[in-house]
Amino acid sequence: MIENKIYFKFDGKTFEGNEGDTIAAALLRNNVKLVGRSFKYHRPRGIYTCGIEEPNALVQIINEHNEPNVRATVKKIYEGMVVKSQNRWPSLKRDLGSINNLLSPIFSAGFYYKTFMGPKSFWKNVYEPLIRRTAGLGKPPKEFKSKSIHLQHNVDIVIVGGGLTGLLAAKKLAGTKYDVLLIERENSFGGILKSSKKIKLINDQDPNDWIEKTERLIHNSSNIKVLRNTLVNTYNFKDHLIALEDKSVGKPQDNKKPELVLHKIRTKQTILANGHIERFISFRNNDLPGVMLAASFEKYIYRYGVVPDESPVIFTNNSSTFSLIKSLIDLGHKPKAYVDIRDPKKIEKEVVELLAKNNIPFYAKSEIEGCDGKNEIKSVTIRFKKNETAKIKTSMLCVSGGFNPDIHLFTQSKGLLKWDENLITFKPDKIFQNTITLGSVSGNFSYQNIMKEINEKLSFLEGINDLDIKLDIEGPVNFHIKELWETKNAKKSLWSKSFIDLQNDVTTKDLKQAVTEGFNRIEHLKRFTTNSMGTDQGKISSINALGIVSKILKKNISDVGTTTYRPPYAPLNFSAIAGRSTYEFYDPVRKTPIHPWHIKHNAVFEDVGQWKRPWYYKKYTNETMHEAVQRESKQVREAAGILDGSTLGKIEIKGKDALAFINLIYTNSFTKMKPMTARYALMLGEDGMVKDDGIVCKINDQHFITTTTTGGAANVLAHMEEYAQTEWPDMNVYVNSITEQFATFNISGPKAKTIMERVFSNIDFNNKKFPFMTFNNFDYLNSKVRILRASFTGEQGYEIYISPKNALTLWERIFYYSRGINLVPYGTETMHLLRAEKGYIIVGQETDGTVTPIDLNLDWMIGKNKKDFIGKRSLIRSDIISSERKQLVGLIPLDKSYGIEEGQHIIEEKNLDTPIKKPIKMLGHVTSSYFSPTLNHCVAMALIKGGNRKIGSQLYVSTSDLNVIPVEVVKPNFIDPKNERLVS
Amino acid sequence: MLLINCPYCGERDQSEFTNGGEAHVARPKDPSQVSDREWSEYVFIRANPKGIYYERWVHTHGCRKWFNAVRNTSTDEILKVYKIGDPPPPIKEFKNTLKSPSGEPDVGSGNFTVKKI
Repeated sequence: MIENKIYFKFDGKTFEGNEGDTIAAALLRNNVKLVGRSFKYHRPRGIYTCGIEEPNALVQIINEHNEPNVRATVKKIYEGMVVKSQNRWPSLKRDLGSINNLLSPIFSAGFYYKTFMGPKSFWKNVYEPLIRRTAGLGKPPKEFKSKSIHLQHNVDIVIVGGGLTGLLAAKKLAGTKYDVLLIERENSFGGILKSSKKIKLINDQDPNDWIEKTERLIHNSSNIKVLRNTLVNTYNFKDHLIALEDKSVGKPQDNKKPELVLHKIRTKQTILANGHIERFISFRNNDLPGVMLAASFEKYIYRYGVVPDESPVIFTNNSSTFSLIKSLIDLGHKPKAYVDIRDPKKIEKEVVELLAKNNIPFYAKSEIEGCDGKNEIKSVTIRFKKNETAKIKTSMLCVSGGFNPDIHLFTQSKGLLKWDENLITFKPDKIFQNTITLGSVSGNFSYQNIMKEINEKLSFLEGINDLDIKLDIEGPVNFHIKELWETKNAKKSLWSKSFIDLQNDVTTKDLKQAVTEGFNRIEHLKRFTTNSMGTDQGKISSINALGIVSKILKKNISDVGTTTYRPPYAPLNFSAIAGRSTYEFYDPVRKTPIHPWHIKHNAVFEDVGQWKRPWYYKKYTNETMHEAVQRESKQVREAAGILDGSTLGKIEIKGKDALAFINLIYTNSFTKMKPMTARYALMLGEDGMVKDDGIVCKINDQHFITTTTTGGAANVLAHMEEYAQTEWPDMNVYVNSITEQFATFNISGPKAKTIMERVFSNIDFNNKKFPFMTFNNFDYLNSKVRILRASFTGEQGYEIYISPKNALTLWERIFYYSRGINLVPYGTETMHLLRAEKGYIIVGQETDGTVTPIDLNLDWMIGKNKKDFIGKRSLIRSDIISSERKQLVGLIPLDKSYGIEEGQHIIEEKNLDTPIKKPIKMLGHVTSSYFSPTLNHCVAMALIKGGNRKIGSQLYVSTSDLNVIPVEVVKPNFIDPKNERLVS
Repeated sequence: MLLINCPYCGERDQSEFTNGGEAHVARPKDPSQVSDREWSEYVFIRANPKGIYYERWVHTHGCRKWFNAVRNTSTDEILKVYKIGDPPPPIKEFKNTLKSPSGEPDVGSGNFTVKKI
């Protein structure tokens, strides 16, 4: 096989790798062992594993927007890739941060909690910047680019894992009626078959041939869909899996195509065949580059054709390393020594014979005390039966501390675990969802039983047959292990540490200290020591930590319990979660039919809900917002103005019981209202608080059209639907949103009527014939318009409702017919100013969910004779009728040159101490404040305790520079209090 | 993410629905006749049990219909859905439904991944 060569950069130096290599494989191929520095102590770290469980070899991919914390054992190289090591300065070999290692006595468990206590002034200026600079692994990415899409699946069966077990399960399901999704996290199937020589032959074939045949069978069956390079990250209720597919494996980024696909999968049955993870053993300096898990070492040989070391020392407590020894011997290499903690009688005869035949030094009932070296391992110390020790030179140490079923997903599904005394690990016990565990994840570590297990556990499915398989296994058939979590540390020095969590630099000593300090519950201990809280979630070490803690506490491990496994299984990009919901796709943008005109006339837009509304229009380039708003407001009061009100919510209510329904929804009484008239109406919640307001137009007793606030439209519709369906289901009433069916313009000002007469020359706008709060439908532009005489400015005004397709034409015609009248387009800010001058409220500005109509002095809007409406009963609760509640008043500064700030407090104190020493009584706050160009001073509204009684008195408003402004409390109606302009 | 069986549309993803709180809290027929206490209990007070809960859902991004559901709050299992106006199923119907994952107590919270016996 000719491999394609690939060149990539690691820390500035160019390396050669083979196509298909991970960064780790390629570095090992080049004999690079030191690849990073650790998180806390900045100790040299190397490649510990060969997969997703990697705690150490985290790197930063510079040419992928600086993507940090990429596992070198997972990420595949491609031509031109630029990789950098993390947590080191100035270079990997000479790292100044490693001073932390010598300072380590002060960096013990709970260091941050204990150290950064005081003095108080240090919190902001010293500790926080310091912690922020040193926190985290790697550096954050430079820019964010979403490159992911989301896909949904609905299937009958999901098989997680395409190893031997997953393939066998898929084979059984091929050609059946079930819709199956087979998910494999690597780009090739086979799992253990491809990463070891444990199984020599399957049905007398080479395993690779068998995989190929099975793959073809799966490919040809129409009912199985396959996802490769896809990692199942989350197992939610109810049988809902989230899996991330990486489409860019081994390829440079392509910004034109989505590279990540987040699959959201709903299934009826979940088959977990996601295997197991090897765990390590803690001993002195077990973090040195050159220490590697044994199965990972073997995986590098078979997956990548890389032999990380030709003569490693092997250290184990179980029977699994036979195939590693055999593989090295077959390749013409030889382990330097074999160290096994188990009793010689318990060690399998296959292992003993193999070692003896090849003259490999063999130490039974012995252990590794520790290892030494500066930037990588140079020697190991072996402790024999009688506590004697001997030092052996070596450049690699392979460790196998046993295997854990990969129970992460199983426990995410809320399945229960139980402790297995023979396997010395937790394995799945009780399922909580429709979960089936097969193979090593279920605790079945015997290949010979695999087919039997699959046949039995899947026998409930319909139309599938039992399969038979013949496996030729080399080495010990049954798995055997002796409990060992940690070996005794004989050497005391600052450099000597026995790690339990490599990524977070947690030592076994930290665990002991935490227990001593009282953190004897595993969840507390985890958080205090940060054990297994890194990005690897302690995949190779968390069960070891339980083992060590159980020994300290003298409890069974099953009584210590595990910490909670939470999604995701492995880190995933935020961009994968974001999917297409970024930038312009983050939230839909709603535009009115007049939007292009607004842009042409230099509107500055404001976001109101999802709507883009003109905030104000810039008449000339340098015009400020204040200048524009003053100009627009003045012009409306002097001539006329037009506002695009198309965003207002509009709801149509029809049905035999429409009148009764609307009487219950709004506070006002609509019974005596004449057809074709309108009314300003308030909507309350059952708690009596103002929820929304709008205008109700009565066409007849069976047909109403109401408007809502722009932001409240969806909620008001939902509110109406809820009551119609749940409280009064017998009412004959239909509600429907017609917000987007009509564009709405508000024209108001002293010249509004003239403009209307010019535009709609066939309509009589005589004030007697077309009085305030009436409406009618007319033909116009081959469609209908509805014109309502109403106003939110206090000037005579008209609202025009027209089909959106004719709206822009009408809008432009209005301007055409307004020649010589000085009609001004105005935005929401001017609208707010004009209504504030009139004392009109805005729901959400004058109200905040704690304000009743009585507080707003809007009692006149309450239908007193109505027996019931939503919120009525709440208006007579004792607190609501209290005169001491906050009430809406107007404020005018005594010195007319002062401006009042919105949100400021209303107080009685004339002077404020600086700094403020005693509590100050707050009477209320300013809800709205504007500079009125018509009155030439500031007008404000405020909610003040007992405000109605305080009309005419003098109070003070605080300012942001700790001053106070004396103000007069007035009725909140600053212009035309008799409504002569409005109603005439 | 729950799978909810809308009585009008069938099984749909939870993201299409909005929860509406406790079910069968009837609005007093004549609010003017109830005491402040009774009224405030209607407006503000809702049950929050661990276990069987009768609650309302609305298929917001679907048929927009309201309906009732019986859910076990400690397992999130939806045991029954029924239309507005249908009588609530008696609680004894759900006596033998799936217990919480680790057989944790009926009251209080717990998060055990290893079964306590």
